[in-house]
Amino acid sequence: MKRILADVTAFGRQYLRSRVGTFFALAFPVILILLFGAIFSSSGTPRVSLAVQDMDRTDASRGFVQALNNTTLISYQAIPPTASFQEYMRANAINVALQIPTGFQATIVRAEMGNASARVNVTLAGDPTQSSFGIAYSAVAAVANAFNLKIANATGVVSVGETPFTVQQFGYIDFFLPGIIGFTILTTPMFGMTSICAEYRTRRFFKLLATTKLSKAEWLAAKVVFYVLLLFLSVAIMMLVGIGVFGMKARLTPVAVLLIIAGAFEFTSLGMVLGIFVRDPGTGEALANAIGFPMMFLAGSFFPIDSMPSFLQTIARALPLTYINEGLRATMVLANDGTAVTYLLVTLGFAVVFFVVGARGLSWKSK
Amino acid sequence: MRPCDVAPPRVVAVDEHVIEVRGLVKRYPDITAVDGIDFDVSRGQVFSLLGPNGAGKTTTVEILEGLRDPTAGEARVLGQDVRSGYRRIRERVGVLPQDFEPFDRLRPREAVTYWARLFDHDVSEEAVASIIETVGLSNRADTFALNLSGGEKRRLGIAMALVGQPDLLFLDEPTTGLDPGARRELWTLIGDLKRKGRTILLTTHYLDEAEQLADDVAIMNHGKIVAHGSPSALISQFGGGTTIVLAGAGRGGSEALMARGIAAELHGADLFVHVPMAGQVRPMLAKLASIEIPLSEIYTKRSTLEDVFLKLVGARMEEGVLAA
Ligand SMILES: Nc1ncnc2c1ncn2[C@@H]1O[C@H](COP(=O)(O)OP(=O)(O)OP(=O)(O)O)[C@@H](O)[C@H]1O
Ligand SMILES: [Mg+2]
Repeated sequence: MKRILADVTAFGRQYLRSRVGTFFALAFPVILILLFGAIFSSSGTPRVSLAVQDMDRTDASRGFVQALNNTTLISYQAIPPTASFQEYMRANAINVALQIPTGFQATIVRAEMGNASARVNVTLAGDPTQSSFGIAYSAVAAVANAFNLKIANATGVVSVGETPFTVQQFGYIDFFLPGIIGFTILTTPMFGMTSICAEYRTRRFFKLLATTKLSKAEWLAAKVVFYVLLLFLSVAIMMLVGIGVFGMKARLTPVAVLLIIAGAFEFTSLGMVLGIFVRDPGTGEALANAIGFPMMFLAGSFFPIDSMPSFLQTIARALPLTYINEGLRATMVLANDGTAVTYLLVTLGFAVVFFVVGARGLSWKSK
Repeated sequence: MRPCDVAPPRVVAVDEHVIEVRGLVKRYPDITAVDGIDFDVSRGQVFSLLGPNGAGKTTTVEILEGLRDPTAGEARVLGQDVRSGYRRIRERVGVLPQDFEPFDRLRPREAVTYWARLFDHDVSEEAVASIIETVGLSNRADTFALNLSGGEKRRLGIAMALVGQPDLLFLDEPTTGLDPGARRELWTLIGDLKRKGRTILLTTHYLDEAEQLADDVAIMNHGKIVAHGSPSALISQFGGGTTIVLAGAGRGGSEALMARGIAAELHGADLFVHVPMAGQVRPMLAKLASIEIPLSEIYTKRSTLEDVFLKLVGARMEEGVLAA
C-alpha cells in the first residue's frame, strides 16, 4: 500500500509537471462543452420541433404526446397516421420525428396488470449528429421514464398528461455533459496509459521498476488511483462550466461518482492491456486511436445509441464505454438509478477483467 | 597503474560467493548471446565483465538481476536461484542498468525518496540527503533530472541503486559515453563503494577501467569468457614484459629493424618492440639506439590489459568497437 502511494505521488508529480499534457487532459473536455453548448444556444429557439405520428390514438398515446408538449423542449406537430412515416419525414423535411406504435395503450395496460415482459417501443427518427435530436431524445426518454414509474406505482396512466414532468428542467447540456464525462473517462486514462507504456518500454523504466519491490499489479493500481483523482478534478471543472455557463440542471449522483471511479479503473486497465502490444510511441498512439475513436462515437458519447441502426446498437452493447455513457445519463438526467447500478456492475466486470489481463500480460522483463 | 590506496585483498571463505554462475547459456533465435560461462564473485569484490559490443555482458548481467531467464545453466545470487528466488533478495541488490535514464520531471531528492519507498524503506530526509551526498549530487539535488549532465544522471542512477543499502551492486557500463573527467570521478565513487564493503559486478569495455577498479576480470567475447583472473595475473600471463615504443618510426623503421633481425609490430606510425623479460630491456634499448631510424620519441611501457586483450581477442577495442 505504501509502495502504491509512493508511486501515485511520484507519477502525479511528473504528470502535473508536464504542463501541456495536464492542460489538454483538463481543458479539452471543457472546450468540447463550450463549443457544443455555444452551437446549441446560438441556434436561438429553445424548443425543438418534433413531429409525432400517433398510430395508437388512445388515451395513453395522447397522454404521452401531451406530456411531451408540456415539456418546454418540444413544439409538437402531427403526422397523419395514414402516412408512411419515413416518406412523410423526407417529403416534409422533418428532422426529428416520433412514432407511437399501435398497441401502445394495450401494452401499458398489460404492464399495469403485472405482466413483467410487456414492452413497447416508441421510435425516434432523425439525424443523431444534430443537437436537436439529443434534446428530443432526452424529452422522449424522460417522458417514457415517467410513464414507466407510473406503471410501476400502478397509478393511472391517463393522468400522466397533467403531471408536471421533471424533464422540463433539463436541456441539451444535461444530455450532452454525461457523454463528455464518458468521453473523458475513455480518453484520458486509455490514451495516457498506452503512451506511458510505450515510453516506459523504450526508456526502459519498466526494467528499472522490475528491480524494485513494486509489483506490476501495484504499479497499475497506482495509475488507477491517479486517474480517478485526475478525472474527479476534470469532472468538477466540467460540472462548473456546465452549471456556470449553460445553467445545467443535472448533478452528480452517488451512482455517477461510483461510475466515474469504475470507469477510470476500467480504462486505465484497458490502456495497460493495449500497452502489452505497444513497442514504441507510434504504435501506441495508433492502437489507442484505432480503439478509442470508434468507441467514443459508437458508445454514444455524442448522440444516443437508441438512434443508431440496430446492427450498430448491437456493437455498442459490446463496448465498455456504452455502459458508462448510458449509466451516467440514466442516473444524472433520467433519475433511473436502477439502470445505472446495473451498468456500474457491468463496468466493474470489464474493469476487473482488464486489470487482471493487463497486470498479468504486460511484461517488464526482456525475453 | 593500480592505485596504492586499494585495501589489501580480504581473505574470504570459499563459500562466501555472492554470485555463482555455472554453464550459463542464453540463446536467441539468431545468436547465442551467452555461450556457457562459469564464474564466481566473492563478497566485497569488484568483478568486471570486460568485452566489446555484443559480447554478452548485458545479457549475463540481466540474467543475474532476474530480468531475463537463462536458456540453460545455473546462476545463484546471494544464495538464490535467479529464476525463482528474486522475491527474497530484491532489496539486497542494487541495479544501474546500461544507458540508465532517470525520470525527467523528478528531482534527485524526490527520485531517491520514491525509489526508497519502492523498497519499503521509510526514509528520512537525512537518509536521502546522505545517499545523495555519497554520490556527490548534493548541489544538484533539487534540479529536474531532465537538466542534469550525463555524469550527474549516472550518479543519480547509482544513488537509486543504493537506496536499499544493497550488499550487491550491478553497474552495467557506468561510464560509457562520459567525458574522461566524469569517468574518473565515477571511478573514485565506485572505489569508495568498494571500500565500504559492497560487492560490485561491473561491466565495461574500457580496459583501463577494469584495470583500475576490478579485483577480478573476465574478458568476454562472443558469449564466452576467454580469460579470467586479476588484472595483474592476466597481464603477467598474457601480456608479459615491456614494450618499447618507437614513436613515428613508421614502415621505414620497421624494415630497418627487420634487417637486423628484431621483430617489431607497426601500429599506425609507431613501432612496438616487445621485450618479454625485464633484464633484456636495457640491452635492447642500447641496440635500438645504435640503429639509424628517424623517430620522434622513444619510450617504454609496461603491458596493460590492452595488450592482454589484443592477444586474446586479436583486435584492439575503441569505445567497445573492435578494430583490426
Ligand atoms: N532480446 C534479444 N533478442 C535477440 N538478440 C539479442 C537480444 N538481446 C541481446 N541480443 C544479442 O545478444 C548479443 C549480446 O548482447 P548484449 O547486450 O549482452 O551485449 P553487451 O556485451 O552488453 O554489448 P554492449 O557493450 O554493446 O552493451 C548481441 O549480439 C545482441 O544483439
Ligand atoms: Mg551491454
